[in-house]
Amino acid sequence: MTKNFLTLTVFLFFSMVFIACEKDDPIIPNEEELITTVNYTLSPANGGNDIVLSFVDLDGDGGSDPIITGGTLAANQLYTGRLDLLNEAESPAESITEEIVEEDEDHQFFFESTVNGMSISYTDQDANGNPVGLNTSIMTGGAATGSIKVILKHEPNKNADGVSDGDDTNAGGETDIQVIFPIDVQ
Amino acid sequence: MFSKYFYCIFVLSCIFSSASIVAQDCNVTIQGRVIDEASQLPLSYVNVYLQESSQGVATDDEGRFLFNNICIGHYHIIFSHIGCEDYKLHIDLEKDTVIDVTLLHTETSLSTVVIQGHKDNVGTQPNLTVNRKKIEDSNNQNLSGLIENETGVHLIKNGSGISKPVVQGLYGNRLTILNNGVPQSGQQWGNDHSPEIDPFAADNITILKGASAIEYSGGNLGSVILVEPKRITREPHLHGQVNYSFESNGRGSNLNVRLEKFSSKLAWRLNGTLRKYGDRRSSDYYLNNTGLEEANLSLQLEKSWNDKLFVDFYASTFNNKLGILRGAHVANLMDLEQAFQQTVPFYTESDFSYGIDAPKQHVSHQLAKLKAKYYSSEKSVIELVLAGQLNSRQEFDIRRSGRSDIPALSLSQTTFNADLTYSKEFADNWSMKLGNQNIFTDNTNDPETGILPLIPDYFSFESGFFITLSKKINRTQFKSGFRYDYENQKAVTITNSVPKEIVRYDNQFQNVSGLFAIEVNVTDQQTLSFNTGLSMRNPEVNELYSNGLHQGVSGIEEGDVQLKSESAIKNTLEYKWLPSSSFSFNALVYHQYFNDYIYLSPQEEIRLTIRGAFPVFKYEQTNASIYGLDISTQFTLSNSLIGQLKYSYLRGDDLQNNMPLVFMPPNSLFGSVTYRTHGSMEISPRVTLDELEVEFNNRYVFQQSHILPEQDFVAPPAAYNLLGMKVSTNVFFPSYKFRVFVKADNILNVKYRDYLNRQRYFADDIGVSYTFGLNLKF
Repeated sequence: MTKNFLTLTVFLFFSMVFIACEKDDPIIPNEEELITTVNYTLSPANGGNDIVLSFVDLDGDGGSDPIITGGTLAANQLYTGRLDLLNEAESPAESITEEIVEEDEDHQFFFESTVNGMSISYTDQDANGNPVGLNTSIMTGGAATGSIKVILKHEPNKNADGVSDGDDTNAGGETDIQVIFPIDVQ
Repeated sequence: MFSKYFYCIFVLSCIFSSASIVAQDCNVTIQGRVIDEASQLPLSYVNVYLQESSQGVATDDEGRFLFNNICIGHYHIIFSHIGCEDYKLHIDLEKDTVIDVTLLHTETSLSTVVIQGHKDNVGTQPNLTVNRKKIEDSNNQNLSGLIENETGVHLIKNGSGISKPVVQGLYGNRLTILNNGVPQSGQQWGNDHSPEIDPFAADNITILKGASAIEYSGGNLGSVILVEPKRITREPHLHGQVNYSFESNGRGSNLNVRLEKFSSKLAWRLNGTLRKYGDRRSSDYYLNNTGLEEANLSLQLEKSWNDKLFVDFYASTFNNKLGILRGAHVANLMDLEQAFQQTVPFYTESDFSYGIDAPKQHVSHQLAKLKAKYYSSEKSVIELVLAGQLNSRQEFDIRRSGRSDIPALSLSQTTFNADLTYSKEFADNWSMKLGNQNIFTDNTNDPETGILPLIPDYFSFESGFFITLSKKINRTQFKSGFRYDYENQKAVTITNSVPKEIVRYDNQFQNVSGLFAIEVNVTDQQTLSFNTGLSMRNPEVNELYSNGLHQGVSGIEEGDVQLKSESAIKNTLEYKWLPSSSFSFNALVYHQYFNDYIYLSPQEEIRLTIRGAFPVFKYEQTNASIYGLDISTQFTLSNSLIGQLKYSYLRGDDLQNNMPLVFMPPNSLFGSVTYRTHGSMEISPRVTLDELEVEFNNRYVFQQSHILPEQDFVAPPAAYNLLGMKVSTNVFFPSYKFRVFVKADNILNVKYRDYLNRQRYFADDIGVSYTFGLNLKF
């Protein structure tokens, strides 16, 4: 009896060992949804060179630090702002902005500035007449330094208190983007 | 309800003896006596029901019963006793018959033997059992919910639909669940994953709380939960039962149908369950998107040859779809902080809905098992188990551009088990069991997600060998055991560097475990058992290679490829006292010391990503201890009034960093008072009620105060108290009987949050709920 038992055990053990060969290489998923890059292009209303604020993080949630580029703006100047979101992990880079335009009712950007005297306002609307924030206008005040925080919320409640005025406190939703650009106003 | 504290076995039943009188066609008597196995005293108030003739009697003070003037024929006799599962006997009545039944009627926590069948007893391990009656009487519960009120057991939840058991502070990778003797495979690592088991397919749920369950594979460090169906009743007719319940909170329906038939050719049992729930409701608002849909089916086949070879086959499929509170879906730390500020969660709607949208989970689990048990002699048994499991899990998040329909996590896991055990009893009360268990696991991510997998693809191969020896000397029973495990993991990870690379790992681990247990029956009424065990668990794939954002946890989790096996020494001391049939007391103290305890440690680093800042958690190792006390007592205040108290205390500490362990269950106190009627009540000439029970129960959960403020995003929720009530009765009609229950949970509609429920960050727990249930056996 004991002998039979041992024979069976050895058989079971080895039959399992033979199954355990190598695992195939996984297919690396195509991360088409990933946003690697935020470009905030500020064009002076009275002409001049565009200023591009950018945040680039090619490895997503991975360990390398993102590259953040701030900008220097002129005092008491009006700028038009345009946001572009890209997935540069793909080549050629894929525009995420288009997806946001298609689903503009489910998306809203929020802007928080710590720069003294700066104001940012929405210049675009979704089909319901609520702001989206891909297009903005920025008015600078006197010389100051600070930063602009740009937040993109997915499925916010745009009808909640203060949300259409750019306050995200009651918006809910998931944050798809939250980046901070250092700003110098001269 | 009270029945859960009891289990009953009818053993050795039926000594048929016959008077030699040749009876007339309808002039036969059936008589007999019911005796309590433990005390050898007669049992009164046992209901004896002769199904075919719709006659019922109760045993008298001497345990006797008598049916006169019965016709010759086939009969089913049902013995039922308060708190016990019914016992059904089939007889072919030809002449006057005497039936003696021995009934073991013991309080569970005082018992040392778990009923698993002929010779399998777990012995010398502290354990708890939930029987079929409790499962039927709580048929709105999932597996975890059924064992929630047992001492030393808590639940980790994620909303109302997802819960996994915690036994003496251990869960997930540290707790083994055996479904039908097969270690349940699946993605144990996630706290938002429930065990994929239909409790309706089970007849017994046993929680072993010993130092080390040497005989079971699965890297357990002490506790094991066994979920088992009983053997098919040796009963030649088709029998079955239907359970239905409706729960007001969530407007949920549960339907279970079970059919079985025994034949010496092939015995079979079929079990099917359907569940559907909509949005649950807290005390003040609907918890939107918390519905559930579930469909399960199982088939059990049994065949035996010459009472020597027993073969059974078991196949089951479990499928569910469940919603996760919409307002609990957040991205970064700032979202989480905003969610904390809400009195009512984001996205709360005023209407009820059965709809289940993203975020949601689709989970399925298939199991097929073949077991052969061969009794080579009265005293030696060899058992072979072959099993295959297929677990598939898809989690859906809210995504852009219609991608919400594409899972964000899609894993499939295939597992093969091959186990062989041999047990033998020797002279002088020695017995031995040895075995070999092999598990092969293949885990694969589906790249359709478009998201880097959190858990890599892997193969793992485990093989374990064990031996246990036990000996009984007079009042003392010894058990000792040794186990060796080998595991080979082959993981294939994808880095999140630019460009992405595939990195392979090949790990080998060797673990040893040992156990020594002693149980002494100090007196007839008192038992003392001591259990000490060393066990080791190697790091699992998630602990080694997790990498990335764990959705729903708002944190980046990073594994550590350098992790070593953790080891633990657990000691338990249990004292049981049963001075009379009206009082029992049970106390269990335990202490478990961990060397290299693997845990998720919050890092000082806050990682900046394009979605904002995320806290980083890394798998690290430390030395830790978990100790606690489980107490339960039961007292009969009068013949029909019974009280019960259970208390669990637990404390976990990180000894190296000198701080508490996070996510440890808070202390809790459970009490109940049950009123039972004896005998039956006639409602009308055709309708009789019996075993009417009215129960009030109360569960008080203390605040988890053993934690530092910086160890969590928000302070642990306050203590809470939940009051419940339940009324149940059997209803007899001339030709059939059914059981009805009505219960109310959280009667006072208390607003509360539970420390171990992750949804507590976002919403209150569920409010008052009424359940109506019906059980019909035929």
